[in-house]
Amino acid sequence: MNILQRIKNAVRSRSIHVAYVDVGSCNGCDIEVLACLAPRYDIEQYGIYVHNNPREADVLLVIGAYTPGWEEKLAMVWEKIPAPKAAITIGNCPISGCLFDRKGSFVDPPVKKHIPIAAEVPGCPPRPTEILQAILSVRDTVFANWEEEHP
Amino acid sequence: MGLSFVWYLREFVRAEWIKKFLFARTAPLVSPSYFRGFPEPTGKTCQHALFCMMACPAPGAIEVVHAGDGWIPKIHKGHCIRCGLCVEACPNEVLTSGRILETMEREGTSLLFSFRIAIDKDLCTGCGNCCTACPVNKQADAQMGAGGHSSNDEVIMRVQEGDIMVIHEDKCTGCKTCETSCPNGAIRIARILEGYQQPVQEGIQ
Repeated sequence: MNILQRIKNAVRSRSIHVAYVDVGSCNGCDIEVLACLAPRYDIEQYGIYVHNNPREADVLLVIGAYTPGWEEKLAMVWEKIPAPKAAITIGNCPISGCLFDRKGSFVDPPVKKHIPIAAEVPGCPPRPTEILQAILSVRDTVFANWEEEHP
Repeated sequence: MGLSFVWYLREFVRAEWIKKFLFARTAPLVSPSYFRGFPEPTGKTCQHALFCMMACPAPGAIEVVHAGDGWIPKIHKGHCIRCGLCVEACPNEVLTSGRILETMEREGTSLLFSFRIAIDKDLCTGCGNCCTACPVNKQADAQMGAGGHSSNDEVIMRVQEGDIMVIHEDKCTGCKTCETSCPNGAIRIARILEGYQQPVQEGIQ
């Protein structure tokens, strides 16, 4: 591992920029993501910053059961994120549709079908600690040594 | 005034301050033990009452599956909403989550299932499919034939003179096998979930 890669790893591990997108949730998970930003869970102490701009982001948090209005749009948001990038789904809805995936509803879960997902956080809603752990685990597995693994 | 400014700047070059500024973290976040997580097995034997599946509000969140020669409830993450109803509804305390079981014991609460059998006499043709399909009937009277006739008084229901007759409604386990086997949709099982509380007092049971 060369010195440049080491510097990049060190910087990236302390500077993860997150964008979140709600593709049709009940807002429960949005509140939990919001709780991550608040002083009690305080994600900035881990070097995770929220920018709701996909062009500046490294991690995309996807919340919700994928309503028809998001077809094509979610993939567009995903393509705008510069590599290295990772998407994390928050809550039950992006995994299974949970309570919204009933007969006669138009939601189209799982989100995994539409964009590649690096980590899934189950729970309805998941706790802020679980969201935090997912982001930190993605940081260690996806972003470390990116240039060496993708020459 | 100039001196106080210097003191102010000196504060920022103290090694202890710089270390704190760069590396300060709050205590590692761990979920307290009383938080309701995904239900976990306590090790007690599952009796296959299936009350957990009946009480579960999230579709496909819990399933009782074969494990070796017994049964074990399996939680599907991504479906489970951690409400804890399966923990409360289980009569054998097979599952645990947070401090639900302790609270139930302290407060003397319980969730009890009961089942009602409703038969629409206008739709029922008296074919006896429900009687032969019922697994409890099969236990009580293994000889019951295709018509649903039986001379046994221990069965839940039987066909008498071309008419369905419910004898032991209390024996119903709520499996709804009869519902699926009925060609006419005449039989309906109501699963009734009731919450009871019996306060436990000091010295008095």
